[in-house]
Amino acid sequence: MTGRTIVITSGKGGVGKTTATANIGTGLAMRGHRVVVVDTDIGLRNLDVIMGLENRIVYDLVNVIEGTCKLSQAMIGDKHDYELYLIPAAQTRDKNSITPEQLREMCAELEKEFDYVLIDCPAGIEQGFKNATAAAQEAIIVTTPEVSAIRDADRIIGLLESSGLHRPKLIINRIDPEMVRRGDMMDQKDVESLLAIEVIGLVPADEQTIVAANRGIPVVHNTKSPAGGAFLRIASRVDGEDIPLMDLEPKNGLFSRFKGMVGMNGRAYSHA
Amino acid sequence: MLKTGVVQVIARGTDVAFVIDENAPFDVVAGELKDYLSKKSGLWSKGDITINVGQRMLARDELAKIKSIIETNSGLKVTRFWFAPESLDSGDLKIEAKPTTDGGPAKPAAHNEVVLPEQAPQTSAKSKSAVESIIESLKSRQNKNGARNRNITEALFIKSTFRSGETLHHQGDVVVLADVNPGAEIRADGDIVVFGSLKGWVHAGASGDNKAVIIALELPSPRFQIGKFLGVAPVTAHRQPKLSASGPQIAYVRSRSIHVAPFAGRFARYNKGVPYDG
Repeated sequence: MTGRTIVITSGKGGVGKTTATANIGTGLAMRGHRVVVVDTDIGLRNLDVIMGLENRIVYDLVNVIEGTCKLSQAMIGDKHDYELYLIPAAQTRDKNSITPEQLREMCAELEKEFDYVLIDCPAGIEQGFKNATAAAQEAIIVTTPEVSAIRDADRIIGLLESSGLHRPKLIINRIDPEMVRRGDMMDQKDVESLLAIEVIGLVPADEQTIVAANRGIPVVHNTKSPAGGAFLRIASRVDGEDIPLMDLEPKNGLFSRFKGMVGMNGRAYSHA
Repeated sequence: MLKTGVVQVIARGTDVAFVIDENAPFDVVAGELKDYLSKKSGLWSKGDITINVGQRMLARDELAKIKSIIETNSGLKVTRFWFAPESLDSGDLKIEAKPTTDGGPAKPAAHNEVVLPEQAPQTSAKSKSAVESIIESLKSRQNKNGARNRNITEALFIKSTFRSGETLHHQGDVVVLADVNPGAEIRADGDIVVFGSLKGWVHAGASGDNKAVIIALELPSPRFQIGKFLGVAPVTAHRQPKLSASGPQIAYVRSRSIHVAPFAGRFARYNKGVPYDG
């Protein structure tokens, strides 16, 4: 079996890479795949917390790479009945503890056993980014509809393409449909035209995402929540299913939509 | 032909070419070059030389170092660097690390001449490619007219979106068949044409040519340079750059400031543009 190694990256911090990794990983596992998620944010590990597995950590990524433990010893099984495993990052080390070659080797090992290897990339474009992207054959870029996040995503796309990772996919996270309707937030088309890459998912801003992260149960388990549904659809698209992107509807109904129709919405942002 | 490992010296009549192995480390090349020249110091009393670096990526200071090694250890004058044309291919955006066809920052303008002398023997004439002859004839024609003093190089085509953080300096015209995103930088000694939206920072006529122009299908870039002039888009109360019109636009220098007007063809006379002086 040869799995796919996908890196989830963004450039800017705090846009939802780790949340996306946990949810897409869980979503793929819910679809019956064998999935392993690797946290490469050494020194600032978070993926274990979001997945609710921080109490089970014994060995970590750096231990595996340095040979202190076997690969299987560092893999933590998910709480739910899925074939989902986590390799946590070391908290007491830094990004220079591993090299791109070592991570690539480890992922090649994992690909033999798993359908999907998801790499949670740290923010920035330094050593951690180089490590994480070297191991992957595909990339998913997470951005929010903000100029700063999009500028960083643009830079990341350029760096990925120059290192041979072509055609990255884009997730636009934390879209506020109400703000988009008012014209205060970029919509999918604006982001798409600026970054010129394929959008693989739109995730609405949803407080359930934060609640779920705090509980350590990724929001994708709650498929009825807007964000959970969106992440499950993204997992399906990653899996090769052709699901059209959904238009995100503002929650409060008729009146606001009426206002939009009569043209009371202007645009308050600039792309330049 | 004399072979010295990584550095090959090819003599063509009065011309000498140094061909440097593409894969050898820079220090080895520098060392060998120095050894070779000091051993044969009597041989190279004077003359002009060309250095062929092939696909190698050299920084400007490395080029300058090679130049200085050759010029101090022999009486030779480095007049030209030769790069494999494919090393300037558009698909690869690592161009920033590669110098283009001049010989480092220290070189005086007079040395930019393309040197493939007419009086050279047949071998040299034969090895001259069609492109070189065209460049040469253009060059001589230009010098005669005293027209635009531009170092003629092939235009560079960029076929994918030029993204934030990517930089490029090209000794000729640059054509981008996509968008130039904010945070990207292009410096061209010639014109810059963007078949897309130009949002990044560009400098046309970077070697001081004020007759260079910038043409783009959309020109929302708030700031760009032509020659020694800086254009800053006039701003409205909403800090939104006020554009003279939608559609293709051309930026050019008139009466010592940059103007932007709707593009109506390369040979149209542009008079009524919006001044871009902030």
